[in-house]
Order: sequence, then structure tokens, then C-alpha cells
Amino acid sequence: MTSPDPAAIAQRALAHAHGGEALVTVVHERSLTSRFARSRPTQATAVDDVTVEIACVRDGRVASASARGTGDDELRAAARRAAQAAAAAARGGPGDYPGLPGPGGPPHPHDGWDHETARLEPSLPAAALRSAFDVAAEHGLEAYGIWTAGEVRTAIASTTGVLAADAVTDVHLKVVCRDATGARSGYAARTATAARAVDARAVAGAAARRAPAGERATLPPGEYPVVLDAHAVGLLLEFLGALAFNGLAHAEGRGALAGRLGRRVASAAVNLSDSPSFPGTLPRAFDAEGVPKRPLPLIQDGVAHRVVHDTRSAAAAGRGATTTGHALAPGGTPEGPAPANLVLVGGGARDVHELALPVERGIYVTRLWYVNPVHPKRTLLTGMTRDGTFLIEDGLITRPLRDVRFTDSALRILDATEALTASQRLVTEAEHYGRRHATGVVCPALRARGLRVTGATP
Amino acid sequence: MLEPLEETVQRAAGRCDYAEARRVVRAAERIDTRNGEVEAVDVGESDGIGVRVRRGGAWGFASAREPTAAAAQDALRRALAVAEAQPAAPAGALAPVPPARGHWESPCREDPFAVPLERKVDLLLRADEIMRGDPRIVLVHGSCVALRTTRAFASTEGAACTQTITECGAAIAATAVADGELQTRSYPGSHQGGVAAAGWERVEELDVVAHAPRVAEEAIALLVAPPCPAGIETVVLDGEQLALQLHESIGHALELDRMLGGEASYAGTSWVSPADLGSLRYGSPRLNVVADATAPGGLGTFGWDDEGVAARSFPLISEGRLVAALSDRESAAAIGLPASGGCARADGHTRQPIVRMTNVSLQPGDAGSLDDLIAGTDRGLYLETNRSWSIDDRRLHFQFGVELAREIRGGELGRILRNASYAGVTPRFWAGLDAVCGPSEWRLWGVLNCGKGEPGQVMHVSHGTAPARFRDVEVGVA
Repeated sequence: MTSPDPAAIAQRALAHAHGGEALVTVVHERSLTSRFARSRPTQATAVDDVTVEIACVRDGRVASASARGTGDDELRAAARRAAQAAAAAARGGPGDYPGLPGPGGPPHPHDGWDHETARLEPSLPAAALRSAFDVAAEHGLEAYGIWTAGEVRTAIASTTGVLAADAVTDVHLKVVCRDATGARSGYAARTATAARAVDARAVAGAAARRAPAGERATLPPGEYPVVLDAHAVGLLLEFLGALAFNGLAHAEGRGALAGRLGRRVASAAVNLSDSPSFPGTLPRAFDAEGVPKRPLPLIQDGVAHRVVHDTRSAAAAGRGATTTGHALAPGGTPEGPAPANLVLVGGGARDVHELALPVERGIYVTRLWYVNPVHPKRTLLTGMTRDGTFLIEDGLITRPLRDVRFTDSALRILDATEALTASQRLVTEAEHYGRRHATGVVCPALRARGLRVTGATP
Repeated sequence: MLEPLEETVQRAAGRCDYAEARRVVRAAERIDTRNGEVEAVDVGESDGIGVRVRRGGAWGFASAREPTAAAAQDALRRALAVAEAQPAAPAGALAPVPPARGHWESPCREDPFAVPLERKVDLLLRADEIMRGDPRIVLVHGSCVALRTTRAFASTEGAACTQTITECGAAIAATAVADGELQTRSYPGSHQGGVAAAGWERVEELDVVAHAPRVAEEAIALLVAPPCPAGIETVVLDGEQLALQLHESIGHALELDRMLGGEASYAGTSWVSPADLGSLRYGSPRLNVVADATAPGGLGTFGWDDEGVAARSFPLISEGRLVAALSDRESAAAIGLPASGGCARADGHTRQPIVRMTNVSLQPGDAGSLDDLIAGTDRGLYLETNRSWSIDDRRLHFQFGVELAREIRGGELGRILRNASYAGVTPRFWAGLDAVCGPSEWRLWGVLNCGKGEPGQVMHVSHGTAPARFRDVEVGVA
């Protein structure tokens, strides 16, 4: 099968859009995913898929249609459906969408595409799986997890003059080493833009070391000092991105930073930005409206500076606000914009062991699970720990702990942050629901006061 | 639709132990209104083929972006290549299945795609206007969804079947903010719970306009309601919250692939093991749960699952005792079951089938109407509409928040409380079930956002519930 040219398809589709503003997005995903459990391969998925979406704007109303295929008849039909839907929406009166953005200048170049990874050789995951199985066996454990890699080529063309193309690759290996009962269970993962950066033996070894033998201690509900490893920090920051930095929620008074911009919301050690070209991140050239990505400081020395916008939320915010290149869909999504390349600056600690040194009795968390908002405006979240939770006693990470439930505010945790590791890691769950769009957070591990533990698994 | 699929599996014969090919054609329409505006109209179509093969003990799956014979055969080639590259694994059996043949369609009285867009927009904007007005209401949202999925399936075992499923529904919500407090009320539920396998008639049944005033009034009332205090209480869960409780603490826990460790690195495992089938006390004798892929209107209702296994209904828990699990052909065979539970489902043409819920439902009890149940409760809380949810990776320790709580005092509903939450441990919680309302209160609730698998798959499922009462529940935990 010949490889499609997203830019050419986007321009062909745009030629079928008449009578108003239109924006075409073409995404070609090729990906390979190998899952494993009990040190055996379980599922292997190879995706080769092209999606074409045409967004039309009529009198401030936006409608979009996806095409059933890439032939001219299918593109013409999708353009017609999008135009009809936008016209129907506009019959209710003019809307508040200010119009598609024009060309925003050249995007920052990035190094997020790797030729070797883009070949998606089936031998790559096979070798990684064998390494994980070997390492798990050396520790008397079994390996569970996923190796996945993808190449995503995106093109956007609009009647307002945007013509942009981007290509990225990503690879992610996750290994959980556990025993037959699950009493011993340790997690490690590595994400990068190039497959050669992922050392399967090292990842599996780290997972195995987090699954020590021994009776698991229990901890009653209460507030405990906590060392959150990078993966746990990254998940909290992802939620914070959606709850606090969403420009639409902020404009509507629902956001967690409403009335708090320019004020201290976190520890002075916290510096958070959205940095789409930061070394080690999963870079992007532009957002879903074709607006070039730029670095954007969000919290500096603990002070909240701004929220992120797409074209719609900027219009809603008024006062001269403009898009910051954070549209998740042309015209914006009902949920609003969100940062996609969060970077938390590291501190001075060498590693998590150094972070644990001042803690008399606390918790070391490697992975969080099933985190959801309880009270969005307070960034109050609940979730569980899993696959490697440990007790800290007299400054040392000592023994495994039964998984605990936390119910706490992400902003409060950042406000109570005392120290961070110098090194940062790119962390992600690599869930890839729907069309592949790899995102992650670059962050260090941190120590914070008083994590609110509200329960524990039996 | 079947021709390129049958040709592909014929070509696969002799090159692998088993092959199946699936074509999935989807049409979708979604309208969102927000604060008096039509915020978005999305209409979409997709069409593609997925081919799955088994070679030795290794599976391989590949998708094709065009529904042609050439594209399907290219997918077959890639599926064979990825299966061949897998590390060696022992080859287990697949539970036997008679070849699926024929065509099936879900009931649809009025085609939702034939209803003019303007009519749908008008409906949502009428509800929208009713909910606005008070300055404390900062966001009103409405949505209307229509989906149609046609699947064709062929396998090297002789299956060749097609089915078409239409889904439709609508929802509204109002969010109020004042003095740092934020409260949301929604109808009919917070997870698109009104969507059913039906046509436009489903939206008319829901009558979102009639419910709009109450939704806005309750969102405002919650702003000044007292917070739910912490303690141990009797709780009565409304049907929507109970549906999610069932989903998280029974449905997912009884997926056989989780019990066998197949999801240990992502979705998790289960506190239940295959050895527990037939003996485990899951809850009180009032607990009767079925998996029913034949339930009219259910989002987990179909003619055949995505392995060509005919839809079936079977008990999972009878009088509190665990009797069966949700399975596909591979997991069923792995524990020696004679047949698959018919629970293999795939999200579109780019994903392979995995074990999913169908319609996992709590059977109605003998507690009469909701009014009867409240009247029979001296003191407690009535909890309505899910707001937050979380459960551990073995489906044991959970915590839920709800949009609205009402005190129950002396058999009557009293004042409303905000920010209510409750927590528990699955078997202890279900052991506290002491009353379930009767058939008149029982209805199916849709869940459109059930996530599982890697790469991620979103599945639509339904849960039938009637309001039910639980004793000794920890509340006010958040």
C-alpha cells in the first residue's frame, strides 16, 4: 500500500470547501503495540489509519465532519456535510467564534521524529519483550506491560492561509514486575521519541527492584509527608493542567485559578511551563487550529501567571487575550483548551532517597491510578497508589506498603512542596484512546508535606 | 460488505491457526450547546477493516484504512508479520463457537439521522434558555448524540454475519458558582446516561426541556446547602449512581481477562479469582446480577460479539453468590469453560476485541417504589447522580462522589446536602445491600466512556438498576 501524503489530501479536501472559512486536518497514524502478561505476549496491534476532518465556520458557528475515506467523492461529501451543519447551526443566530486564525509564522523546528522508529519494525517490540521476560525471571517475577511506538504525520490547511505539516514519533515501554499473587508488584516506564532511547533491560530492572519481597505494612488514614516519584507527579500535573490552566473554564469563573492569577498558589520552588520544544518532551509544531506552539510560563516561583487559550476561549476572556496555541480541536472543544507539554523545573535533590532523608514517617509513591476530580475548582482529586508504594521511616525508604487512597488538592500539594530532584523525566500513561496523539509531562520527583490519605486497600 | 472479508480469511487459511476479519462502518453526529450558543456540531463517518490472526500462541492484529479487498489483504499480511515476530508462547485453545450467520439490527423507530439538525438544535436551546437567567449559573450545556455502527464479520471457522446498531440520546447540565463553591446538576445522568440503543424516540422520551428548570434550581440550591457530614450512614443510591457502582465494583471485577492477569499493567487485575466461581459470597442475598447482551435498548446489546459468539444472557451473581464471569473465547478456554460468555468487543476497525461488559444489571427486588423504599428508611442519605469516581486496580477499595444528597429522616426526604461522597470495600459494601426497588423503578443506564485496553478502547455499555439501600456506609470521606 502506498503511503498517503497528508498535506496533499488536506489541500484536495480544502478545495471542496466553499462559502466560508474552513480548516482541514489530516492525520496519518502508523503504530505498533505489543502487550504482554505473565511473561508471554498477549496482543499485538498494527494500526495504519488516515483520518480527515473538515471544520466549517458560518456566522460564528463551527461544525465539523470527518470523511469516510480520502477519495475526492468522500472529501466532497464531508465538506458538504460540514458546511450544511455549520449553516444549520448558524440559523439560530450568530455565534461567538471569532473566526479561524491565520498563519502564525513558522513553527519552531523540533527533533521529535526519528527515522528508525518510524520504520516500526516488528522485531523491535519482540526484542524488548524478551529482555523484560528475562529480567523478570532473574528476580523470580513475571513481566506485564506494553511496548508501543507510532509515527503520526499531521497536516492542516485552512482558507485563512494556514498550511502546516508535522511529523512525530513516540515510543513507550511499561513494565510491571509482579509475583503470582500480586503481593509483589513494581512499575517502571520509559517514553521517548526514538526507540533506541528505551533500554528494556533497564526499565524491567527498575520495575523488579520496586517489587521487593516482604510483608506489606499498612497505614491508617491521616496526613503524611510524601515523596512522589516523577510518574505520580506527572499525573497530578496533567489534572492541574485541565482544571487550573483551562482558559475557557477560567473565563467562565469555573477554573481553579479564577481570581488568583498574579498571586502565589504554590511553593516558591515550583516553576511550571508549557514547553513544546523542551528537551525530552514529545514536541509539537502547532495546535489543532494550526497555531504555532510557543513556550509559555504558567507558574513562576510559585506565582500563577496565566492560563492557556484557543481562539474561542481567548474571545470569551476578552481584554486582548489571544490564542496561545492550545486548541484541542478546530473551534475549540466543549471542555476548553489545555496545556499539552507541561514541564516542571527540577530542584537540587540527587534522587528520591535524598528527598526521603528528612522524613521521619511518610510514604514513597511510584505510581498513581484512577485519579479523578472530586471538586474541580479546588483541584481536589482522589486516586489510589499501585505497583510500588513504600513506607519511609527515619529518612529511609524501608518496606512495601499496602496501596493507599489519597484525597487531596493538586495545588495544595504543590504549595506544600519542599524539594524536587534535579533530574526530570518524560512521563505518560500512553493510553492512546482514539487517534494517536502522544503527550507527556516532563517533571522531577518531589517531596511534599501532609498528603491526605483517606483509605487503603485491604 | 462480507465479500472482501471472506476472501481475506480464505487467503489466511493455512498461514495461521485462526483468522477473522471485521469491517466497521460508523456514522456519528453530536451537537453541543453552551450558554445559549450552538457550540459545536460534529458529524463523522469512518470505514475500515481489522484483521486478527492467531499463529501458535501469538495473536496479530492489523487495521486497514480502506474497505477494499486489497487493503484487507495487506492488513492480513501485516497481522501475520506481527504475530510471527512475537516471542514464542504456548498455544491455548479457543472455546468453540458455531459459525455466526445472518443479519441483526437493533430496534429504531425514528431514524435519528433523518431528524433535521435544526430540530435538535431547537430542543437543546430551549432547555438551555430555561436553565439560564440566574447570574450564579455560569455554564449550561446540552448535547444530543446519534450513532450508527454496521459491522460485518467473517472467520476461518465459517462465520459470516452482519449487524447494525443505532444509538441515540440527549443530556443537559447546569453549573453554578458563588463564593468559591462550584456545583453541577445534570440530567438524565453525568455520563451520557440517557443514551440507549434506539432512535430519536429515545430523545423524546427523555424530555430534557421538562427537566431543565429543576436542574438549574438544584445547582443553585447546592451552592448554599450544608456539606455532607462524615460518618457511617444508611444510604439509598439512585439508579444512575448505582449503575456506576455496579460498573466499577462488579462489572470490571468479573472480567475474566483481568482475573487471569491479562490487564495487570493497565486496567488492573481483580480481587476475584477463577477459583472463586461458584463459591464466593459477593454480597447479600438481595444481590442478583446478570450479563444480558439481549436486553432491548442496551448499549451492550448485539446479535453477535466481535468473535462471532451469539448474544446471550446469563447470571453472574445469584442471591449474593458468584456464579460466572465475563469471558471471550480465549479466557473461557483458559479456565476450562465449555463456551465463551460472548463478551469480546472491539472499538472500531483499528482495535482488536477484548473482554468487555455487555449489559451488566442488578435485578429488581421487592422493595416496591422509591417512595416505598424511602418510607421504609428511618434515617439515612439518598444519593443522586455520579460526580466523581475512583477504585483501586483490584476493584476493591472505591470512593464515589455524587452531585446531590438528601437527608432521610423518619421515612421522608429532607434537606439537600452538597459535596457528598462515600467509600467502601467491594464485598463489604455489597454485603450491606438490604433492599432493591421493584421492576417499576428498574431502567437501563448508558455508559459511553468505559475505557480499557492498550491502545485504548472506549466501549458503550448499559446497566439496569433500580434504587437500592445499603447499610453501614462510610460517607463524607472527601
